[in-house]
Amino acid sequence: MKQRGLKLFATAGILLTLALAGCGNKEVEKNDKVSAKPKEEQTLTVYSAGPDGLAANIQQAFEEKTGIKVEMFQGTTGKILSRLEAEKNNPVADVVVLASVASMDGLKETDQLQSYKDAEGAKKINSDWSNAEGYYYGYSASALGIAYNTKNTQQAPAEWADLAKAEWQNKINIPDPSLSGSAVDFLFGYTEAEKTAWTTMEKWKENGLQVNGANKEALDAVITGDKNATISGVDYMAYKAKADGEPVEIIYPKNGTVVSPRAVGILKDAKNVESAKAYVDFLLSDEGQKLVANAYLLPGNKDIPVKDRAALDEIPQLNVNWKGAEAKQLEVLTKFNDIFR
Amino acid sequence: MIMEGRRTFGFLLTLVVTFAIAPLMAIAFYTFMKDGQLDVSQINRMFANERMWHTLGNSVLLGVLVIVGTTIVAFPMALIRTKTSLYKYDWLDIILTIPFMTPPYIGSMGWILFMQNNGFLQQLFPSAAWVTESFFSLFGMVMIMSLHLFPFLYLMLKNTLLRINGSFLDAALIFGRSSWRNWTKIVLPLVVSSYVLGSLLIFIKTLAEFGTPATFGSRIGFQVFTTEIHSYLSRWPVDISMATSLSLFLLSVCLVIWYFQNLIGRKYTYSVLSGKTPAIREIKDQWYVKLGSWLFVGIVILLSIGIPYFSIIVTSLQKVRGDGLQAGNFSFASYQEVFTSGSAGLSAFLNSVVFSVITAVVTAIIGLLIALYIKKGETKKQQILDFFSLMPNIIPGIVFVVGLIMFWNAPWLPATIYNTKAMVVVTYCVLFLPYSVQYIKSSLSQLDSSIFQSTAIFGRSSWAVYRHIIIPLLMQGILAGMMMTFIISMRELVAGLLILPPSVETGATFIYSQFEQGNVGVGMAVAVITVAMTVIFMFLLDWLQKRGGHADA
Repeated sequence: MKQRGLKLFATAGILLTLALAGCGNKEVEKNDKVSAKPKEEQTLTVYSAGPDGLAANIQQAFEEKTGIKVEMFQGTTGKILSRLEAEKNNPVADVVVLASVASMDGLKETDQLQSYKDAEGAKKINSDWSNAEGYYYGYSASALGIAYNTKNTQQAPAEWADLAKAEWQNKINIPDPSLSGSAVDFLFGYTEAEKTAWTTMEKWKENGLQVNGANKEALDAVITGDKNATISGVDYMAYKAKADGEPVEIIYPKNGTVVSPRAVGILKDAKNVESAKAYVDFLLSDEGQKLVANAYLLPGNKDIPVKDRAALDEIPQLNVNWKGAEAKQLEVLTKFNDIFR
Repeated sequence: MIMEGRRTFGFLLTLVVTFAIAPLMAIAFYTFMKDGQLDVSQINRMFANERMWHTLGNSVLLGVLVIVGTTIVAFPMALIRTKTSLYKYDWLDIILTIPFMTPPYIGSMGWILFMQNNGFLQQLFPSAAWVTESFFSLFGMVMIMSLHLFPFLYLMLKNTLLRINGSFLDAALIFGRSSWRNWTKIVLPLVVSSYVLGSLLIFIKTLAEFGTPATFGSRIGFQVFTTEIHSYLSRWPVDISMATSLSLFLLSVCLVIWYFQNLIGRKYTYSVLSGKTPAIREIKDQWYVKLGSWLFVGIVILLSIGIPYFSIIVTSLQKVRGDGLQAGNFSFASYQEVFTSGSAGLSAFLNSVVFSVITAVVTAIIGLLIALYIKKGETKKQQILDFFSLMPNIIPGIVFVVGLIMFWNAPWLPATIYNTKAMVVVTYCVLFLPYSVQYIKSSLSQLDSSIFQSTAIFGRSSWAVYRHIIIPLLMQGILAGMMMTFIISMRELVAGLLILPPSVETGATFIYSQFEQGNVGVGMAVAVITVAMTVIFMFLLDWLQKRGGHADA
């Protein structure tokens, strides 16, 4: 009896080993990685709120050029910030790319970034979009406008207040600012620079403004004709859709809009600092900047020509003071949620 | 016998506790402890939060309405399939489980694309524009969720009605006084108990659902508990402790409901498998019964499968989405993009397949061990293990996911699997272990004790007994459990959204992110491929079950 019990136990043991082998084979892989650390210095973890295609193109070009392997997590700005928060005990990312400079500034203020002052090509990059001490660089930007469906729209809107008119009733939406970094930038910039902003937004609400998920979700509603216009539409997505033949067009209201820079920075806890620096250098290089322009974004380097889109100096801009924006953005976001949610 | 004794118990319990219970403890710990001190301020903060009560109200309301919705579909359907001439079309049952197998977020995206302004409905029938507005409301959400969940209730009701059709009614006819008394004293109690059990499960499943609220609910501004937890974890500004307290609350709600369900189950469960299988009587219907039945079945299939799948397939084939349904606007470009080697969609899909296969294998092995230990659940220890291993079934997935994140990020852990692929597999294993345990248990329960006795008499080593007799006999249940686990893992969304390491996507998160930032057409192409695969697996599953006996889920 005893012997049998032992045998049975052995059987269970074998099965368990199999089970754990199934469950844990990836774990072993990871341990290998840890033990082979010096060699593995050549990988880099990037959390990027980039447009899908651009992030992938940059990753590919960077890997080809430097031989450094990039592990990429893509998500909205909100997702990346929350992931960083959740991983505080156990940091993973080296480089972070956000679609909002204010959020980036927030990371710097809470001491989560490290400075890389002598990045190559840093001088050519728009200083308005970057931190003077080199904590982050605005390597690209999108301007926020009104994207509208060309089939369903007789007369294009000219300014923000136009969308409060009856003809746009139940036909307008806006990306959810708690998901979209650029939408928060818009809310902040617009309410900061325009005294009447909140009144206009109340009117939008009365006019049936819908809060519609992340940027592409909001734009998709316009593309398919569910809505006729997206407020704070990210322009590069609209240009891209237009190039694909979708019936969509984007305008920048003549009283001015917000240009939302997308910034890159190196995290303080980064394990692969050298690779991270190489990544920043690459984004700021002419090659990287051309990739940016090809994705219909505004390059951080003004000398790089843009493709089939309005250049920076053709876009009427609101006068926004970004100092201490992050704290104020939270206020704006809360107020927005109170009104619309 | 094998799988007895203290050590086996200790081992299995450790396994289950580490992977399934520790995460729940982590949630409680995170909620109640601050700097090593007991702290209830977090809970107070949650209770003071008006939004919490509001979302709780929404969740409960939704649960109740979905019970109503599923009843409206499932009850007539069960009657039609047992009391009319449609009883003989068994293929209907497979068709009717397709809605349940369809990932809910894909189904509701299909509905959105169909019903929205300028959506497919308006393109096909411009005069139907008025439906749009009334559809994008709580009504539409209840309808989508009911159409997704009804197969569950339907199968339960149908099985009960089938059993009653047999010996019980015969007995009632022989000994009964009047048919009215037969109904109230025999049929009704039997139906009611299984209906109550079924609808409580529907309620729990509705509370736990994430996909439909995340897609359709966010569209109409209807927040529920699961989306609220998810947003505290994944939106800026993050509030992790709020997420854990909400998880704890949801967990408690589900445990309470489960307790009542058990109470009712124990009180009203009769041994209905009493030997005699129902004699098959030829049913002849009046023409209007037949017409009505087919009409009802047709409408249900149209609504639960036809419409969502129409939108999904059309969208995956569209060239220019803004041009709508037009000749010449269709191409296989999205599929080409998916099947280009190295494409993000394809690798996401393959990741899902790999994760799901590993999960299916691991849960089958652990499930087998657990099932062999539990047997009929006669001793306290067996019952404890039974309870723990089935717990993930009554606790919403997102609660487990939050717990796993908290647990594997704990600062005192010497090593962690967080941010590796192993984390994904562990999470899936925890979430889906109940499926394999249930399937294997039910096929174990069909083994007559004489088998065990004869093997004991003629038995060589017990290893040989297991290898040559027991496991082969259980193989059908094991495979069915694996298949089910595979299907469910393939569509898991919320775990993927929260725990995938960098550079890794699953089919589900890929589809979801195509809606957020990318190309909807490609997302839908991946959805079509996933669903096609699921349906093939379902037919395999059915075939497997028909080969011998029945393994009820």
